[in-house]
Amino acid sequence: MLSQRILGRSAVKSAFKPSGLPSVVSAGRLRRTYATESEPRDLVIIGGGVAGYVAAIKAGQEGMKVTCIEKRGTLGGTCLNVGCIPSKSLLNNSHLYHQILHDTKHRGIEVSDVKLNLKQLMKAKETSVTGLTKGVEFLFKKNGVEYIKGAGTFQDEHTIKVQLNDGGETSVTGKNILIATGSEVTPFPGLQIDEQTVISSTGAIALEKVPKKLLVIGGGIIGLEMASVWSRLGSEVTVVEFLDQIGGPGMDTEVAKNIQKILKKQGIIFKTGTKVLDGEKSDGAVKINVDSAKGGKPETLGADIVLVAIGRRPYTGGLGLENVGIELDERGRVIIDSEYRTKIPHIRCVGDVTFGPMLAHKAEEEAVAVVEYIKKGYGHVNYGCIPSVMYTSPEVAWVGQSEQELKKAGIKYRVGTFPFSANSRAKTNLDTDGQVKMLADAETDRLLGIHIIGVNAGEMIAEGTLALEYGASSEDIARTCHAHPTLAEAFKEAAMATHGKAIHF
Amino acid sequence: MASFAAACRVSARLATRKLQQDGVVRGFRTSAAALAAHNFTMPALSPTMTEGNIASWKVKEGEKFMAGDVLLEIETDKATMDVEAQDDGIMFKILQGDDSKGVQIGTRIAVVAEVGDDLSALEIPAEQGTQSTTAAEAPRAQSAAAPEPESAPSSRSGPPTTSDGTVHKQSYPLLPSVSHLLKEHDVSEAAIGSITPTGPNGRLLKGDVLAYLGMIDANIPSQVSSRFEKASHLDLSNIKVAKAPEPKKAAKAAPAPPPAPVKTLVTVPVSLSAVIEAQRKIQTSLGVFLPLSTFIARASEMANDELPLPKGCQPTADELFNQVLGLDKLAGPKVSRGAYIPQIAAVTRPSARAPAAKSSDIFDLLAAPSKSKKAQAAKPTLLPGASTGPNVFSLQVPKAEERRASVFLERVKLVLETEPGRLVL
Ligand SMILES: Cc1cc2nc3c(=O)[nH]c(=O)nc-3n(C[C@H](O)[C@H](O)[C@H](O)COP(=O)(O)OP(=O)(O)OC[C@H]3O[C@@H](n4cnc5c(N)ncnc54)[C@H](O)[C@@H]3O)c2cc1C
Repeated sequence: MLSQRILGRSAVKSAFKPSGLPSVVSAGRLRRTYATESEPRDLVIIGGGVAGYVAAIKAGQEGMKVTCIEKRGTLGGTCLNVGCIPSKSLLNNSHLYHQILHDTKHRGIEVSDVKLNLKQLMKAKETSVTGLTKGVEFLFKKNGVEYIKGAGTFQDEHTIKVQLNDGGETSVTGKNILIATGSEVTPFPGLQIDEQTVISSTGAIALEKVPKKLLVIGGGIIGLEMASVWSRLGSEVTVVEFLDQIGGPGMDTEVAKNIQKILKKQGIIFKTGTKVLDGEKSDGAVKINVDSAKGGKPETLGADIVLVAIGRRPYTGGLGLENVGIELDERGRVIIDSEYRTKIPHIRCVGDVTFGPMLAHKAEEEAVAVVEYIKKGYGHVNYGCIPSVMYTSPEVAWVGQSEQELKKAGIKYRVGTFPFSANSRAKTNLDTDGQVKMLADAETDRLLGIHIIGVNAGEMIAEGTLALEYGASSEDIARTCHAHPTLAEAFKEAAMATHGKAIHF
Repeated sequence: MASFAAACRVSARLATRKLQQDGVVRGFRTSAAALAAHNFTMPALSPTMTEGNIASWKVKEGEKFMAGDVLLEIETDKATMDVEAQDDGIMFKILQGDDSKGVQIGTRIAVVAEVGDDLSALEIPAEQGTQSTTAAEAPRAQSAAAPEPESAPSSRSGPPTTSDGTVHKQSYPLLPSVSHLLKEHDVSEAAIGSITPTGPNGRLLKGDVLAYLGMIDANIPSQVSSRFEKASHLDLSNIKVAKAPEPKKAAKAAPAPPPAPVKTLVTVPVSLSAVIEAQRKIQTSLGVFLPLSTFIARASEMANDELPLPKGCQPTADELFNQVLGLDKLAGPKVSRGAYIPQIAAVTRPSARAPAAKSSDIFDLLAAPSKSKKAQAAKPTLLPGASTGPNVFSLQVPKAEERRASVFLERVKLVLETEPGRLVL
């Protein structure tokens, strides 16, 4: 009976597109689409980085009238202009150069007269960056996002004053406002960044010549990526890290040790557990005084360029948060609730400028979620399932918890590893550095963490993230067919090793 | 002239309210998914059904659903049936939860919103229609639903038992480890539902089966899950607020209320007599009764084609692409398809029944419909607000769309008054 009625209805429906009964909502739709200028915007976004531009596009797609204010002159923020994208361009091409110099010969490819054209290398990077930032601008157009080039400041809870890049001033009012102003380099106290001899990552992706000696303060992901680039291009690189392990505190300790060994073999010098005391600049060179964190003897290190890579901090400069009384926490993060609301409910905040890991994909997830919160009252980001990738060679990638975290929490777990040296594809490629390591709950076998070192770890971690998101056990991965010969088989074998035994090791 | 326009507006409001009511009475089985938030009532699943039990909802509050998705499962004394959505939408509020017993047909059980609606701005419409008549029965239905004790999950490790008596149907393929374990231990298809799932979205995990089989402590899977649940959120506990510099009090001015958008009402008188004549002819010759709404909907469909663009309208993505490629100069006259649906009101409808409203924004009305009992009690007609005599078709549109809207209405008028038969044959 029911199905009959439904059938009857759908027949009418398919015969005739469902415009249905007279109604009033369509007028509202039209109103959304064809806005007049003087109206307040549904959403005003300050910052056109990953967080800001993704939110803008999403809001446009949801039919909201949205304005995005960005002062940089190009969209994409840190990530597209001076972060993820340019650094990956340099990493890729410097790797190619390094490979041709040192690796192709024993594969039977002899290339003579290999020369580095740094200018061209930088140009290739700029082509990628321009292509992508322009692409975002096109997406703005396509999704009806209004783009204002200028610096935004809160005037009151609904009004943003914009100092236009071309001179002059304007203001926008918004029913909702999103703070997405991102982050900036954390300066090193007592060492002024001039982007000439003392540089930040922004300077490090735009050097005009290869430094003879590069000293990197901070052995986190950004520091190690930049160290890799310039080491491959010919610099003698020393990395000074305060902690006992490189890769930052989130990286699994065993993995950190392994990648350190590999990078050391590539020629990077590490000084872990070492504290930088101060430094001084003198005619085109820098001297840095360091001290062993565990009371060794102090040392002075010389370099022609020092890269400060001790982290990034939230950026709210010139935003005028004091004008609306929005608070920051001790570390400068904008204080939010679980729906990204500041204490003024229609002003929300996502991305690097607030809590959570400073990652582009985290910013992107939040951007979508915050628009859904505004629009539909519900959005979600699973913070337990955000992958991290370090794009060295080999890459390092992980998702979920590390072994040291599990130990600290007193959780019983099982470990399964599989080295790429036992994987047929890695063997054929002559790229056998690294391993896949899995951590699963000792009782339920539910996956808790996945840590990979390997040439394509950054791509492979997607499978681990998916598994974690779906609550998979290591056995679930082991019982899923993986193509042969692929590096992904190492992933499957590590899963087998976690709850049983690997076949090929 | 002014009073005429006012009369039109009043009857337009009436039409709106009646329309909502129409939606109520017919439950969700209407293709008019155009109301911002509307009541979803207990549907009649058979001609004899008067009441039913809600076994379970298949969508959660805030969740989107698509036409054809199962919204809920209803039990009657005869059978258990799935109720499917006829249109895309969002479940705004569930008012009669799982295991509600003896729910009268027509009783409001949920409120649904249209896809893309701003839930934060929506309010729950008042319960309408049957509410007054079933008021006496409602409390009984409520109390019948109340005593449904949930047996506490038993923590044990030993031979397989049901964990908490509730049935957990797995709507996804089982994970490979799960189906392997179940086969290995001869767990029957029927028993699977009694295993408590602890995975994301109620997914059954390997650990759940291990616990069910008594191979691990029964509490462990949920402990693992609660750790995952905790890790899935940003840790916003223990926030230490930075000492802020003295806030500038003066700057914290009261927010300017957003000004209401400028709208105009475009109206055209339309006689439906030709339509009714066609309707009668079709019924006598073919034996099919076609509701007026069908005629009007089809007329709207036709009239929406190739409407002149509103003033100052934004180019579409295709147009932007064409601009990039330099093709825009070759294109013909600037027209686009509209999405208008006219409001219809009989000219003669007494305006006294409509509440005098201060605001002219029809959206206020939608968001917070009047609770006027008298109007609610009125029987829904096939086409709310329409009469067989002269009617007023109207559209409320932004100023820039005035011409677009009147072209549309004139076209609707033309087809309905001159050749309505062609709309349906
Ligand atoms: C060298 C480097 C490499 C990186 N590599 C990776 C990587 O591989 N993977 C990864 O996930 N992440 C990486 N990151 C981190 C990533 O770039 C950030 O997580 C991401 O950019 C954060 O996005 P966001 O939108 O929150 O902030 P941002 O990208 O910083 O964008 C904020 C924008 O707001 C603008 N703005 C600020 N204040 C105002 C104002 N008042 N008015 C107008 N505009 C304003 C700024 O100009 C800026 O463009 C890297 C970062 C660096 C520095």
